[in-house]
Amino acid sequence: MRTYELVFVVDPRVSDEEVVELTGEYKQMLTGGGLVIAREESWGRRKLAFPIHKLTEGKYVVLYLSSEDGTRTLADVEHRMNQNDKVLRYLSVRTDLDLKRAGRPQLPEPIGEGTPAVAGERAAEGGRSGREE
Amino acid sequence: MPPRSGGRGAGRGAAKGAKGAKGKKVFYRRRKVCKFCADKIDYVDYKDVKLLQQFIPERSKILPRRISGTCARHQRLLQQGIKRARHLALIPFATD
Repeated sequence: MRTYELVFVVDPRVSDEEVVELTGEYKQMLTGGGLVIAREESWGRRKLAFPIHKLTEGKYVVLYLSSEDGTRTLADVEHRMNQNDKVLRYLSVRTDLDLKRAGRPQLPEPIGEGTPAVAGERAAEGGRSGREE
Repeated sequence: MPPRSGGRGAGRGAAKGAKGAKGKKVFYRRRKVCKFCADKIDYVDYKDVKLLQQFIPERSKILPRRISGTCARHQRLLQQGIKRARHLALIPFATD
C-alpha cells in the first residue's frame, strides 16, 4: 500500500464554500482514480511566510491518501491545480516508505470529513507526534 | 528571539576540551547532540513548523550541522522537510 499527502494553498479571496467545493472536486477525481482519502484537514486562513502573487495569506487544505498500487491520478490532479489560478501552491508527497522507516503508522487516524480547521489541526499534531508543546 | 541557540542539542556534561597542563587556557565545549536522535524523531514532517523553525535562524538559512550538532542522516531529513515547507510558504526562504 502506498500513502500520499497532498497539500494545497488556495487564494484567500476565495470563499470557504468555494474552497470546500474545489476540495470536493479534487477528492472526486482522486477517489475516481482508485485512491482512498484517509483523512482531510483544513487549516483555514494562514499567513504565508512570504508573499505569493502579492498575497500574504492563504487557505491550506491537507489530504491524506492511500492506494493499493501506483496511480497516475495524482499527477492529473496536480495538473489541474497547476492550471487553476486560485491554487497558489500544491505539494504531493509519497509518505509510506519514510513513515515505515520511522516506525510510524502509515495512515493517520481518520477524522470526519470537513472537520473544523482548528480542531483538525490540533488533533493532527497530537496524533502525529506524541510530543505536544 | 528564539533562533540561533535553538538548534543546539540539549547535550549536557561530557565535556570535551584540552586540560591545560601548564596553566594554559582550559575551556570546555558542551558536547552537541543531535536533537532528532535524542528525541527519537525519525520522520521530519514538513508541516511541523515549530520543529523546523528551531533550525532556521534569523536569516532563514538552514542551520549547518556543525553548529546544530545534528547528525548527517537527520540533517538530510531536516533539509528535505525545510525545503518542502518553504515551497508551501510555511517558512521563509530568506529574510533580510
